[in-house]
Amino acid sequence: MSGWISGLGAFLGRSAETTGYGLVLLGRTLFHLPHLLTRRRIRDTLDLCYTYCTGSFTVTAVVALFTGMILALNSGLSLQELGQEALIGRIVAVSLIREMGPFMTALILTASIGSGIAAELGTMKVSEEIDALRIMSISPVRFLILPRMVALTLVTPVLTIFAGLIGILGGMFVAYFQLGVGWMAFQNDGLEVLTQKDVFTGLFKSVVFGVTIATVGCTQGLLTRGGATGVGQAARRAVVVTFLLVIIMGYYITWAVLT
Amino acid sequence: MIRLTNVHKQLGGRKILDGLSLEVEEGETLVILGRSGTGKSVTLRHVIGLLTPDSGQIEVLGEEISQHRPENLRTVRRRIGYLFQDGALLDWLNISDNIGLPLRERREHSEKEIVDRIEEVLAEVELDGHALKLPSEISGGMRKRAGLARALVCHPEIMLHDEPTSGLDPISSSVINRLIMKLKGMGITQMVVTHDMGSAFEVADRIALLHQGTVRALGTSDEIRQSTDPAVQQFIHGKVDGPLAREIREDPDSSNNNESEES
Ligand SMILES: Nc1ncnc2c1ncn2[C@@H]1O[C@H](COP(=O)(O)OP(=O)(O)OP(=O)(O)O)[C@@H](O)[C@H]1O
Ligand SMILES: [Mg+2]
Repeated sequence: MSGWISGLGAFLGRSAETTGYGLVLLGRTLFHLPHLLTRRRIRDTLDLCYTYCTGSFTVTAVVALFTGMILALNSGLSLQELGQEALIGRIVAVSLIREMGPFMTALILTASIGSGIAAELGTMKVSEEIDALRIMSISPVRFLILPRMVALTLVTPVLTIFAGLIGILGGMFVAYFQLGVGWMAFQNDGLEVLTQKDVFTGLFKSVVFGVTIATVGCTQGLLTRGGATGVGQAARRAVVVTFLLVIIMGYYITWAVLT
Repeated sequence: MIRLTNVHKQLGGRKILDGLSLEVEEGETLVILGRSGTGKSVTLRHVIGLLTPDSGQIEVLGEEISQHRPENLRTVRRRIGYLFQDGALLDWLNISDNIGLPLRERREHSEKEIVDRIEEVLAEVELDGHALKLPSEISGGMRKRAGLARALVCHPEIMLHDEPTSGLDPISSSVINRLIMKLKGMGITQMVVTHDMGSAFEVADRIALLHQGTVRALGTSDEIRQSTDPAVQQFIHGKVDGPLAREIREDPDSSNNNESEES
C-alpha cells in the first residue's frame, strides 16, 4: 500500500517536472522566434515542413476519406429513416471541419511525427550530440527545437484543411451513391451552412494541437535518459501524453466556443 | 589555465568526484588515466561546463566557471575544443557540414573561408576523401577523427580529448597522436583521457591517475613509470591484482558504465 502511494507520488512529481520543463521549453522557443529569420533556419524549417507533409500525407488522406464516408453512412442511414437525408451534408461538414478533422489529423501527426521527434532528439541526447551543440555554443533550442515547433505548427493546419476537404468528398460520394442525395443538395445544405466560426474553430484547434505535438515530442526527446530503452520510452510517452492532451484540450476548446 | 580545486560531484546517488584538485598549465598536455567509471569523462565535462560541481572551484582561461549560467559560458567555450568519446556528429549532415557547423553558426566568416578551413582540418585528420559522406557511412574510427576535426576547426586554445584513440587501428592512432603532438607544438593546452598507455606516455607532459574521485598519482611520464605506488604500477602494467582491483570488488557498481577498454 505504501509502495503504491509513494509510486503515485513519484509519478506525480515527475509529471509536474516534465510539464514545467515543457512549458519553459515552449517559452524559450517563443523567445528564440526572431532567430528563425536566418537563411539556414528558414531552410531547415521548410525542409522539415516538406518531410512532415510527405510523411503523413497519404495516411491522412485515407483516414480522412473513410472518416467522411463513415460519418455520412452512419448519419445518413439514421436520417433516412426520418426522411431527413438532405441534412447529411450539414452533419458531415460541420463535424469534420469543427471536430473530426483537427482531431484525426492531430492523432496521425502524433503517431507519425511527434513520436519521431521524440525518438530523434532522444537519440541525439544519449549519443551526446546535444551536448556537442552546447559546447559549440549552438543553442539546441534555436538549432533543433525552433524549426521543429514552427514546422509542425504550420503543417498541422494545412493537413487539417486537407483532411476536412477529403473527408467531405468521401461523405459526398457515400451520400450520392448509397443514399441518393445529389451533389447540389449536399453542397447547399453542407458547405453553405458552415459558418466562419466553424472553420475558425477547426483551424484554431489544429494550431493548438500542432504546438502541443511538437512541444511534447521535443520535451520527451530532450528528457531522454539512458540508451535505446530510454529512446523507446520517450517516443511512447510522447504519443500517450499528446493523445491525452489533444482530446482534453479539444473538448475544452469546443466547450469554450459553443457556450 | 585550467584549475580544478576540491571538486565534489555526486551523480546517480554515487560520489564520482570526491575532492578532485588538478591543474593544467598553459601549453601543457596532461594525460588522465583511470579505470572505467572513475569519472574521467565527468572531469572533462566539468571543465567545459556541461556539469556543474556540487562544491569546489573550476577556473578555465582565467574565469571561474562553476557558477556560470549558459549564456556566460559561451565566451569560454568558444576557446575550447572537445572531442567526444563517440564523435557526437549530427547524423543528417555530411562530414564536411558537420565540421563546418560551428563556423557557419557563428556567421563571422565567408563561405569561402569556411570551405577552405574545412579542407585544411580534413587533411589534418586524413579524411580528405570522405567529406561528402554521412556519419553512418564511415567507420567509428573515422567518425572520431571527424569529431576531432570539428573540435579543431575554430582554432581552440584548449583541447579536451575523451579517448581520442580508443577503437582506432594502430595507424589511425598514430595519426591522432601525431596530431596531439602537433597541437602541443602550437602551444595548445590539452587534457587527454586515454586507456592507451603507449599514447599516454608519448604525448604527455604530465600524467594524472584518477582513483576514487581524486588524483592518486601525478607526475611526468618518467615519474609515473618509476612510481613506487602499487596502484600506479598495477594500472600501467594492467595487472589484475592490486589496490585498484580491490576497489572494484568492494564497489561492484564502479565499472558498469562503459565497455571495458582497459589496456
Ligand atoms: N549523468 C549521469 N548520471 C548518473 N551517473 C553518471 C552520469 N554520468 C556519469 N555517471 C557515472 O559516473 C561514473 C563515471 O563516469 P565517467 O563517464 O566519467 O567514467 P570514465 O572514467 O570516463 O569511464 P570510461 O573510461 O569508461 O569512459 C560512472 O560510474 C557513471 O555511471
Ligand atoms: Mg569516459
